[in-house]
Amino acid sequence: MQSFVDTYGFLIVTMTLQAMLALSLYLPLMAGQLSLATPGFFALGGFVSAVMSTQVFPEVPAGELFPLPYVFLEMGIAAVLCAIVAVIVGFPALRLRGIYLALATIAFVEVVRVVALNLPITGQAVGIFGIPQPFEDNFEYITISLPMLLIAMFFVYRLERSRVGRAFAALREDELAAAAMGIAPTRYKVLAFVMGAVLAGIVGALNAHLLNTWNTRQGTFDAAILTLAFVIIGGSRTFLGPVMGGLLLTALPEVLRAVAGIDGLPPIVAQFLTEGRLIIYGLLIAFGTLFFPQGLISPDIFRRRKKPELETAVTKAEAVS
Amino acid sequence: MNDLLRIDKLTRTFGGLVAVNNVSFSVQDGEIFGLIGPNGAGKTTLFNLITGLTPVTSGQQYYQQRETTRLKPHQIAGLGIARTFQNIRLFGNLSALDNVMVAQHLHTHAGIVAGIIGTPGVRQEEKRVRERAMTLLERVNLADRWDQKARNFAYGDQRRLEIARALALQPKLLLLDEPGAGMNPNEKAALSGFIRQIRADFNLTIVLIEHNVPMVMGLCDRIAVLNFGQLIAMGEPAQVQRDPAVIEAYLGD
Amino acid sequence: MNTTLVFQQLINGLSLGMVYAIFALGYTLVFSILGIINFAHSAVFTIGAYFTYALMGLSWGFNGLLAQQELPFGLPFVFALLGGGVLSGLLAVALERLAFKPLRARNADPLLTLVSSLGLAVALVNIIQFLVGAEAYSYPSQQVLAGLPPSINLGTTTAPLIIPTVRVVIIIASLVILAVLVALINGSKIGRAMRAVAEDGTTANLLGINTDRIILFTFFLSGFIGGVAGTLVGLSVTITGPYFGISFGLKGLAVIVLGGLGNIPGAVVGGLVIGVAETLAPSSLKDAVAFVILFLILLARPQGLLGRKFIQKV
Repeated sequence: MQSFVDTYGFLIVTMTLQAMLALSLYLPLMAGQLSLATPGFFALGGFVSAVMSTQVFPEVPAGELFPLPYVFLEMGIAAVLCAIVAVIVGFPALRLRGIYLALATIAFVEVVRVVALNLPITGQAVGIFGIPQPFEDNFEYITISLPMLLIAMFFVYRLERSRVGRAFAALREDELAAAAMGIAPTRYKVLAFVMGAVLAGIVGALNAHLLNTWNTRQGTFDAAILTLAFVIIGGSRTFLGPVMGGLLLTALPEVLRAVAGIDGLPPIVAQFLTEGRLIIYGLLIAFGTLFFPQGLISPDIFRRRKKPELETAVTKAEAVS
Repeated sequence: MNDLLRIDKLTRTFGGLVAVNNVSFSVQDGEIFGLIGPNGAGKTTLFNLITGLTPVTSGQQYYQQRETTRLKPHQIAGLGIARTFQNIRLFGNLSALDNVMVAQHLHTHAGIVAGIIGTPGVRQEEKRVRERAMTLLERVNLADRWDQKARNFAYGDQRRLEIARALALQPKLLLLDEPGAGMNPNEKAALSGFIRQIRADFNLTIVLIEHNVPMVMGLCDRIAVLNFGQLIAMGEPAQVQRDPAVIEAYLGD
Repeated sequence: MNTTLVFQQLINGLSLGMVYAIFALGYTLVFSILGIINFAHSAVFTIGAYFTYALMGLSWGFNGLLAQQELPFGLPFVFALLGGGVLSGLLAVALERLAFKPLRARNADPLLTLVSSLGLAVALVNIIQFLVGAEAYSYPSQQVLAGLPPSINLGTTTAPLIIPTVRVVIIIASLVILAVLVALINGSKIGRAMRAVAEDGTTANLLGINTDRIILFTFFLSGFIGGVAGTLVGLSVTITGPYFGISFGLKGLAVIVLGGLGNIPGAVVGGLVIGVAETLAPSSLKDAVAFVILFLILLARPQGLLGRKFIQKV
């Protein structure tokens, strides 16, 4: 058991973090917005905790662990910062639709990357090293990341069934008709965007500690493509889809590596399986949209069974009171 | 003044085209007002102007004596104007129930956090919303298919669903864009009856675009006729029917 | 004011801008007839550079499946360039058949097609890496110039204006391609057919134009231009690795949005603006220039400098 944890602990934690990133892309998608901005907020969140733990908080004596409350504080600040940036970027950008919005979010991610590449505080090209650890080994991060994932899942599950979630779904189906039914498009689109940004930021903040270093190679356009694959393959119409996609596709390279180790496999195939992860992801996206337009997991899992009641005199009276 | 809706020299041009040309009329509280004219006469564009989906080029519009010319669609919905669409714009992947529930958005208040947690107030509100939606579905005879996706409904049923959704907005003014399109004569007669019924039951004022002239003549209190974006006649059905300009406009139809 | 420096900067900006322009034209051609943004164009662009490299008989490096291999022959640069373009064109056609046509058949949203093309781009670029590794490759300049001097002096001996010949080659090649393309579209039968399909595909079909064939031809053309552009960029800086096309591809998006989606003169204007702006920007911020411009243009005037506003039908 211990050796399993040693070998795969990091992977398992990363799986949960990637699943949350997939959710952070799913949130704006609930309102019909394809935003590829997740990596930008992921990077921002990571820099917040990287900078704070190396430059703001008191230095941790050798041999001791970084206090956990500080990590939570960093995540909180990352959340607030990302929310602010998301509002500033979101209000103008979310008036754009479709392709134009996707392009604007791509541009946003690149600008964040270049800015971080140039600021001394973010370590420029080298990045920030020696981020202190709140845990002794990687697997212990699961004590935070797994509850986080479960809470995020619960949050989105409840959101989908709430009044705001219905507004998102209406916007996703037909923005004009939704507006004609009283739903203010920009306000709700920005709301969804901010929620996604906050989640990505919090994940980034934790991830920086996990990786021990943080630089502009975390949170790039490529990362957006990966996250997009999780959502497209896993299922884009219910919250479980991105989670499954994130968990499974993050584990996929390891599975492939294991398969590649099987005796008797031609070396080319083995090599492809180990190095061709991005080829596989790319092809999955390219043809997944063709063959699985809804992804693996569809919302029918949640079909309501019980027929709701009709309005009674009581409820009518309640409505006017 | 009993004008619920008043449009004043409303004009819409784009490119070189004049879709709606200097149209003025007013709709009285409680009436069923018909809007007819040959294809391309600008009727749907007029609806789009009134509901804020299309920007007004010049002219003004007033609802309950308050100017609505520059308002956005969701604001206009908030004032109590609901509509259906010529090309049916239901939320296809949502169930019939969800379609009608979502239109109650403005009459509900649950915020995100309360909605996530599920406070007693929110649960109460959700129950009320669900029941109200079911009642409306029952009204249009679709209650037994409450959980089916809207896009799986037959054409005629989709039209009825759209009306139920519009009613969920609790409007004072209901704009129906060709509600009878694709219906056979029996269905159209039932629709006429239905429209009269909902005007009474929900205290509505209704503006109706419809191609079927007999249906319009029998149903509407007053009719406006558009042709090439211009108002060419307006008045009571019998009057309009005899108007030479109207007859000429329809001869080529 | 050091006139030589300014002049060199201008030439650099011009050459970069021209390459952006012809690269963007690949996007524009496809967008104008199909209404989709084909991000796989950036992968075709990348592969074109590698095709040309191979056709010159040069050998690959130490990594990848084809390590140390080389073709048994080597073409002079110009032929390798054209050959690389042709192969790229064929690749683009293959992609259209495999991915875009089925998506069209299912009436896919342009956004979905963009997403699919993103996947294709990532897959293709990584296939390159799998085959020939991620190291840098460059075209040996003697082989390219084949006897021409390494630099040209456009000024006098006392006030020299020296520019590397390679830059001149790039500018001239780009201009030639642009001229041929414009002549093709405006003056030839197939060009007329392309414009008809771009205007209204259904009507064009009814008029007897084989829209399917026009689509194939357009993809071939866009792939050809992309491949040539890739080689030219590889010529000007070296092929820094398979991912150089992706960042170019992203900037290409800025170019077409700036000029106006589907607008050919717009692609040229956009390319030049961004090329010059990038050259004049301080080196640390160069990469951000295109994206800042993209973001601003999307907010201020999404239809671009020369584009028309789209009206949505209700």
